[in-house]
Amino acid sequence: MTGNAEELELKDRLSLIETMIAEGRRTTASWGWVFVLWGLAYYIAIAWDNWGGHSPWAWPVTMTATFALTAALSMRQVAIRPRTTISRAIASVWIAMGISMFVLFMSLGISGRLADEHGFVAVVAAMLGTANATSGMILKWKMQLACALVWWTLTGYACFAQGKQLTFAYLAAIFFCQIVFGIYGMIMEARMRTQGAVHA
Amino acid sequence: MPELPELNPVIHGKLRLALLSLLIGVEEAEFTWLRSKTGSTDGNLGAQLTKLEEAGYVAVKKKFVQRKPQTLYRMTEAGRQALTEYVQALKQLLGGSMD
Repeated sequence: MTGNAEELELKDRLSLIETMIAEGRRTTASWGWVFVLWGLAYYIAIAWDNWGGHSPWAWPVTMTATFALTAALSMRQVAIRPRTTISRAIASVWIAMGISMFVLFMSLGISGRLADEHGFVAVVAAMLGTANATSGMILKWKMQLACALVWWTLTGYACFAQGKQLTFAYLAAIFFCQIVFGIYGMIMEARMRTQGAVHA
Repeated sequence: MPELPELNPVIHGKLRLALLSLLIGVEEAEFTWLRSKTGSTDGNLGAQLTKLEEAGYVAVKKKFVQRKPQTLYRMTEAGRQALTEYVQALKQLLGGSMD
C-alpha cells in the first residue's frame, strides 16, 4: 500500500461489496397481503356456504375469484422485484399447493363427493400445514412454523371433532394463521422497506 | 516478495462494483430496482450497465410485462469470476490491515 487514503478507499470498496450483496439478498417482496386476502376469502366462502343454503358455487366461485385477484396483483409486484432462488422456491411451494387444492376440490365438488366437512377441513389444513412448514423452514421463520403447527393440529382435530366445534376451530385457525399472520407479515415488510436505499 | 495484484478497472468504478455486488445475490433484476438500490440517475446507471455488458459481465434481456417494457439484467459466469478475483485482489492488497 502506498498511503493511508488509498488503503481507506480499498476498505470502502470492500465494505460496499458486502453491503450491496446483503441488500440484494434482502427479501423485500410483499406477501403479507396474500395471507389476509385468502383469509377473508375463506370467511366469505364459509359464510356463503352456511347462510346461502349450502350453494355448490360458494367455494368454486370465491376461490377462483381470489386466485384471479391474487394473480393480477402479484403480477405488478413480480414485475419490479428481483428474482432470487429463495423467492422462486417459496413461490413454487404455494403455487403447487394452490393448483393441488384447486384440482382436488373442484373435481370432488363437481362429482358430488365433497359431502364430508370433516374430511374437507382435514385435507385443507394438512395442505396449508405443509406449505407453511416448507416456507417457514426455507425462511427460518418461527412464526410461520407455528402457523404450520396450528394447521396440522386442526388436521388431527377435524377427524374427531363433533358438530359446531369443527367450524369454530376452522374459523379460529383462519383468523390466526391467515389474518393475524398476514398483518404481522405486512408490518415486518413495511419496517424493512423504511430502511431505504443504500446509495453507491 | 509476491507481486501485488492489479485491480480490474471495469469493476473498480464504485457504481459498477455496486451493481455487480447486487446482481450476484439475485437471479435477475429489473433496471428500476437497480436504480432504487443504488440511488443513481437513469443516464449514469444505463451507461455503467452498458460498460458491464460490453465487458461480458452482465447479460440483458428485454421483455414486455402488462404491455410495459422491462429491461432485466443478470450476472454472467464471467462477471461472477471477475468479481471473485477482484475481491481476492482487494484482500491481498489490504493484507494485514484488514484485521
